[in-house]
Amino acid sequence: MTESDGDSTGRSLLSDPRLIIAKRDLSSLSREKTIVLALLIQLFVAAFSSFLVVGLTSLYNPGSVSAGEVVVGVAGEHDAPLVRAANEQDGLRAITYPTPETAREAYQDGRVHAVMLAGDSGNRIDVEVIAPQESIETTLIIDQVRTLLEAVERDERIARSDHLDRSTVPVPEKVDASPYFGFTYTVLVPLLLFLPPFISGSVAVDALTEEIERGTLELLRVAPLSLVDIVDGKALAMILIAPLQALLWVTLLGWNGIDIANLGQLLTVVTALTTLVVTLGLSLGVLTAKRREAQLLYSVLVIFGFGILTFLPEHPATTVAKLAVDSPTGTTTAHVVGYAVAAVALFVLARRLVARTDPEGL
Amino acid sequence: MSGGPPRPRGGDTTTDDRSSRTGRLGDWSRTRAENVTRIARWEVTKNAGGVDRRTVIIAVLAVIGLGAMAPVAVSQGVSLDQGIYRVGVVPEDPYYDPVFLDPTFRVQNPSSAAVEAGKQEIRIVGPQVREYADTTKGRAAVDELRSSTMRYNDGIMGLEDNQSAAFPVVVNLSYVQRDATRVVAPGEQAIAVDSGEDEEAGGGDGAGGGGDGSSDDGSGDENGDGTAGDGSDAGGDGDSDVTQPEGGSNVGSSTIGARLTGGGTSGAPSDITPPFPFRSLVLAFVFVLPLNFVIQAYGSTILSERINRRGELLLVSPVSRGDIIVGKTLPYFAAAIGVATAITLVLRGSAISVLAIVPLAMLFLAATFLGAMFARSFKELTFVTVTITVSLTSYAFVPAIFTDVTPIALISPLTLVVRDLQGQAIGLGQFAFSTLPPTLTALTLFGLGAGLYREEDMFTQRPIPYKVLDALAGPITRRRSVALVTAVLLPFVLVAELVVVAFMYPLTQASIPFGVIVFAAFVGIALVEELAKSLHVYAGYAHSRFDDTLRTALVVGLFSGIGFFLAEKLTLIARLADLQEVEIGQAALGEQALLQTGVPLPILVVALLLAPLALHVVTASISALGARRGRRSYAVALVIAVAVHVAYNLTVVTALAQ
Repeated sequence: MTESDGDSTGRSLLSDPRLIIAKRDLSSLSREKTIVLALLIQLFVAAFSSFLVVGLTSLYNPGSVSAGEVVVGVAGEHDAPLVRAANEQDGLRAITYPTPETAREAYQDGRVHAVMLAGDSGNRIDVEVIAPQESIETTLIIDQVRTLLEAVERDERIARSDHLDRSTVPVPEKVDASPYFGFTYTVLVPLLLFLPPFISGSVAVDALTEEIERGTLELLRVAPLSLVDIVDGKALAMILIAPLQALLWVTLLGWNGIDIANLGQLLTVVTALTTLVVTLGLSLGVLTAKRREAQLLYSVLVIFGFGILTFLPEHPATTVAKLAVDSPTGTTTAHVVGYAVAAVALFVLARRLVARTDPEGL
Repeated sequence: MSGGPPRPRGGDTTTDDRSSRTGRLGDWSRTRAENVTRIARWEVTKNAGGVDRRTVIIAVLAVIGLGAMAPVAVSQGVSLDQGIYRVGVVPEDPYYDPVFLDPTFRVQNPSSAAVEAGKQEIRIVGPQVREYADTTKGRAAVDELRSSTMRYNDGIMGLEDNQSAAFPVVVNLSYVQRDATRVVAPGEQAIAVDSGEDEEAGGGDGAGGGGDGSSDDGSGDENGDGTAGDGSDAGGDGDSDVTQPEGGSNVGSSTIGARLTGGGTSGAPSDITPPFPFRSLVLAFVFVLPLNFVIQAYGSTILSERINRRGELLLVSPVSRGDIIVGKTLPYFAAAIGVATAITLVLRGSAISVLAIVPLAMLFLAATFLGAMFARSFKELTFVTVTITVSLTSYAFVPAIFTDVTPIALISPLTLVVRDLQGQAIGLGQFAFSTLPPTLTALTLFGLGAGLYREEDMFTQRPIPYKVLDALAGPITRRRSVALVTAVLLPFVLVAELVVVAFMYPLTQASIPFGVIVFAAFVGIALVEELAKSLHVYAGYAHSRFDDTLRTALVVGLFSGIGFFLAEKLTLIARLADLQEVEIGQAALGEQALLQTGVPLPILVVALLLAPLALHVVTASISALGARRGRRSYAVALVIAVAVHVAYNLTVVTALAQ
């Protein structure tokens, strides 16, 4: 590449062979449009998980999906507290029936969504709830009924507080909160930030082993490049694109009204994790020199490593969540620093390993 | 797909010219079987078994390590939302305990300034929430505090001596069918959701007869006490149709169940959860997961044939293309089915579960095969494989979530597995509806890939879109074959349309007007259908298979339209699966829905057959006319065709509505 090989100081920064390798790898990625595919995959995963959570939340907490009013038929000797609680609940209306039989009839005729028969059992209110067979409606009805009965339970506990040794904590007023808030920061954001490193590492394995398997590594080595230079260049390319993708996601989330705090620290975490997995991938590539084995070990070991990290005081996903939602603690910062240090240490170690490897053996 | 190249044992077939046709068929199939098994054996010994021992040992150790970690990690309770909300509260306040016990919160000293500065979400003074940050985060924090307070209260009350005062409301929940025949009698139905899970649920119940609350691990026991539990310890009242879900999600208040001494037929209000087959779903996911590992190895072996012309040796050997492909695929297919069978045995599912996985496994393998034929490098293959994994997993998994909610869920074979694990019966029609489209899609994908499995395509580097066109143009030899390709593409159309409908389904639950959703569904469906009718026509033009006359374009369009019309009648199987119960399914499957309205006019019936035919021919001709002038005019023509199609569908639906 440079005319005088020995004169290493004469190499200008831009013609550094490692940068050229990095550029070459990046341009092959963009030529194959694989990076577009990668972004599409990530977008799809994000959409998929959001879809999943909206589906799950609407099933578990159907009140979060706006729907019509639930009409409940109430009968039995203890119907009064039920009706009282129903009057204070949005989205639910109670109709009182004189006898359980008339209430059941109303249910069968489809005049009410569900029936609650409040009988007496010892000192308790024994509520028999009859709801329709499973359907999406049932979920909504049961949710409303449960909310109602919980309110009745609270009222009754207060009424019977003389018989209780302990007192309950008053439940805070209901506020208009997004049911997806927690999910967005604790699942979606970590997912979006961890996918790019994982893909980068996998591509790094391919980038190296493919050169070995196709025999093009030989060609590269004809140029005045050491194996360390080649591996450096490949690592550089793959480590660079992950934080860029992360930045893209943060911007996109910002447009959707999800503000991400502590961007600098988040990008540090992403870069450090990418360095860790890319280094792992390239080391495996050098050690095995075969794609299939390197890829297998890479995926297994990354998952294993991710499992190991649960034993940290703070899981990386929690670290990311706390940074993104702007509730970081000293522990969080310590973890960020820890990842950065580990990344640098592993990178240095891996370079030594590569330097000791005999390229002819690949 | 195989054009009959020479076979290795071909010598003996020349001698028995006079032997019966069945004899020749026997020979033929025997030769095929021999070739396939030989290639499969090579594949196992040379490729799949080619991973060296060191790799295997490390991988196995890592997997064992993961398995060993799992229980520890679970018992520690990995909570991702640890400490995301900060609450200012002092130990004297009643809120201190619930806040302290919920890891979601971090306790701070209450400070109004901190709330102002956005460093504290909630400030509590005495027994009330005095102040909270007026942000999405602050409101979410209050909501979370609300639910953890309720959990905490239930836990506190569980410690009370006077349980009737602590839990003054007891709920018996029963699901009663409601229809014209007045099914009243409580006691005859049980919650079908649970019946498949009784091994574990029953066990939990038995152990806990007196107080079965020994810290259940969340999702597990939610719907736990199904029929088995009821039968064994119902004791008290005779309502056998009562479900009493355990307080599964009530983390941190393990004594919830302990207060109920009378056995599992009643619960406090917080114990009630809507029916949701979460566990079956997780188990079903176990079926899909191994497929993803299988396709990794499979894609790798297919692509490695294409690197450095390694596959050329096999191609010039006296075996047919079909034999090579089947032989190379067989070990992976067998592995996938073997794993599925093992899982089924462990989960005590029936043969239906395995049979339902067959089309899924084929679909995964077929998509990977085609992807490996398209990919130019391992890097690209990695992305292609991830795309396949993600999209097919969601195709299998997302509909299965709605197993008990809507029959549309049956578009995924995984729904059959969930139903099977739940012990529900599965009709033949439902089985066909669920498995046929993926099977046909898989076969088509294999066919398209096989079209590329030849020297001139395998060892050349072309961008993916061109390879797609190559694959599509492959089978087109004359104008007539357009109809065949259109028909063959129909499974894609079916799957894609059902996916469109399925994705519209959540929207119907939201407050979006129904008309808008139907329109969106129509546009999606029209786009899918028009693409299926014209993409290969475009490919044919791009490969100069047709001459540039107006007449040819119209004839090709005619053939494409007819092929589509005939094959579309396959969608009738959708009716087998009771899909007409679903409003949007009705609208989406347009013409079929018309038939069900029972309009008695014979004229209408003729129109029903002719109108769609005319539509398909017209739109296919429009896009064919565009396709002969190149890419840009093809795109324009496609948009016009979609518009015509949507307009037609809207007309049909409005006519229906009157």
